[in-house]
Amino acid sequence: MEDRRTVADGLRLAVRALVYAVLGGAALLAIATVASVLGPMLALDLYTPPVAAWWTVFTAIAVQGVPFLLLGTVVSAAIGAFVPARVFSRLLPSSPALAVPLAGAAGAVLPGCECASVPVAGSLMRRGVAPAAALAFLLSAPAINPVVLVATSIAFPGRPEMVLGRLVASLATAVGMGWLWARFGRDEWLRLPMRHAPAAASSGLRGFGAGLQHDFLHAGGFLVLGAAAAATFNIVVPRTVLDVFTGSPWLSVLLLAVLAVVLCVCSEADAFVAASLSGFSPTARLAFMVVGPMVDLKLIALQAGTFGRSFAVRFTSVTWVVAVVSSVLTGWWLL
Amino acid sequence: MRRYGPALLLVLTGSAILRISLFSALYLRYVQAALRPYLVVSGVVLVVLGVLAAVVRRKQRKAYDEEEHEHEHEQEQDQDQDHDRDPERDHGHGHGHGHGHGHGHGHGHHGHGPRIAWLLVLPALALLLFPPPALGSYSASREAAQRAAQGVGRFPALPAGDPVALSVAQFSSRAMYDSGHSLTGRTVRMTGFVTHGDDGTWYVTRLLVSCCAADATTSKVEIRGAGDAPPSDTWMTVTGTWHPQGRLGTDAAWPPVLDATSARQVKQPADPYEKR
Repeated sequence: MEDRRTVADGLRLAVRALVYAVLGGAALLAIATVASVLGPMLALDLYTPPVAAWWTVFTAIAVQGVPFLLLGTVVSAAIGAFVPARVFSRLLPSSPALAVPLAGAAGAVLPGCECASVPVAGSLMRRGVAPAAALAFLLSAPAINPVVLVATSIAFPGRPEMVLGRLVASLATAVGMGWLWARFGRDEWLRLPMRHAPAAASSGLRGFGAGLQHDFLHAGGFLVLGAAAAATFNIVVPRTVLDVFTGSPWLSVLLLAVLAVVLCVCSEADAFVAASLSGFSPTARLAFMVVGPMVDLKLIALQAGTFGRSFAVRFTSVTWVVAVVSSVLTGWWLL
Repeated sequence: MRRYGPALLLVLTGSAILRISLFSALYLRYVQAALRPYLVVSGVVLVVLGVLAAVVRRKQRKAYDEEEHEHEHEQEQDQDQDHDRDPERDHGHGHGHGHGHGHGHGHGHHGHGPRIAWLLVLPALALLLFPPPALGSYSASREAAQRAAQGVGRFPALPAGDPVALSVAQFSSRAMYDSGHSLTGRTVRMTGFVTHGDDGTWYVTRLLVSCCAADATTSKVEIRGAGDAPPSDTWMTVTGTWHPQGRLGTDAAWPPVLDATSARQVKQPADPYEKR
């Protein structure tokens, strides 16, 4: 009885594998034929320099986001699977007014760019960390970690006040947003994917693997979406437009704050881009570096995917305003 | 196919990353060189994760099948054979609903992984089948070449060598800001691609990338005395001497000029961008 079943199983598997191989092979062959015949013809018409540049920028943003996204999802899956909720309730003060600045300062320990921080903040919330504190961490982590600060000091040699200004303005924005959320935020705006149902066996290695797989694929899809939007702006908006606005200090701050949103430069590289925008005032360039890691198109896509669209719209727009105000004040004070 | 979707996506993404980072140097078209080890590690992790996901999926199916068999055994033998004949359909349905909650990642999407994740196929297939080219003269022309933001000052001495090999960015910042005039009297060699200016002038241009191609900025050097302009995007190595022009640090000094003694066509270098 057992033998018969094993043999039947094996046969069934072999037949199925054969069918898959034949079907898959035929499909691949058909696709390859069509692509090799039509490809060059289409390529001549459609693969113009702008389209080629779009594909390059699109894949570049996706490729450079993958390692950081993976790091972020590994950390977030590890938090979900191995760190019990009571650790956070013990580490963080129960009053949000105190927990927010602490969480904001803790952002300094996650070395990565903004792609990494969204899944981590999501899993912190699932682990019972107050949303206000998790959001302060979400905003500060990509902006004030050591890698980013060192990159900033390299990009602005001999001007440590830029590094200090970036640290102060980013931390102020993160903590300010945390407090704003604690005071005015409503939990129904947040739609956390309750991936880990309370009763599910989701701790330990199995839970880690499942969480990692789900988080990476989910955030990866949104990263691709954001990369497509960023590449489109990168190709459509010429940088020469910038020269028009360099005259007015107020307009230039706003313009660079908008530019930071649409360009989606990684937080570890944005200091170099800011340094190259030599026509602008230091305050405008500071705004570029403060807004970029907190609000940009790929982040909006990632946040909409993780926390829901109604959250992303409210949160990113208020963050943008707070970040601009905070960089103007810091620039007026320090620069 | 749908059941193994997440596993397939992970393997596809991982192998696309490995194809450009481990099995070729194509990653240099998209990101800076220092990212390579991270890309290789990510690619390996993703492929392993995908294979593991497929194995786990398969085991769950097996466990489910056996559970079902035993269950039906208790009831009647005929049903069992029926089930054997059509395991695909029977299973595809039962699995998503029956087990979706149990193993933690099915919630809301019935164990097939989030649908948005299929967008990953776009960059992955592009990298595997038709890796997009490095940015070239189109991107350089769209963006007014930027002057590196720095003040006039004394630069360290140039390395020995005749000619001395410099990057386009090094040459142009020395030409514009070096109060020590370290370029004077030296023969230099640079490599870049050709872009065209107005009225027949041409430049050797190079893009600078600090993290990924999205943050590319341009530096360029005008070439004089090397005859007619080659076609755009031709890679050239030029040798020559600096032609001083304008006062240091002013717009008149930009872009810097090279009196070329030789200009020859070369292959595109492995790293098409310059590192800052």
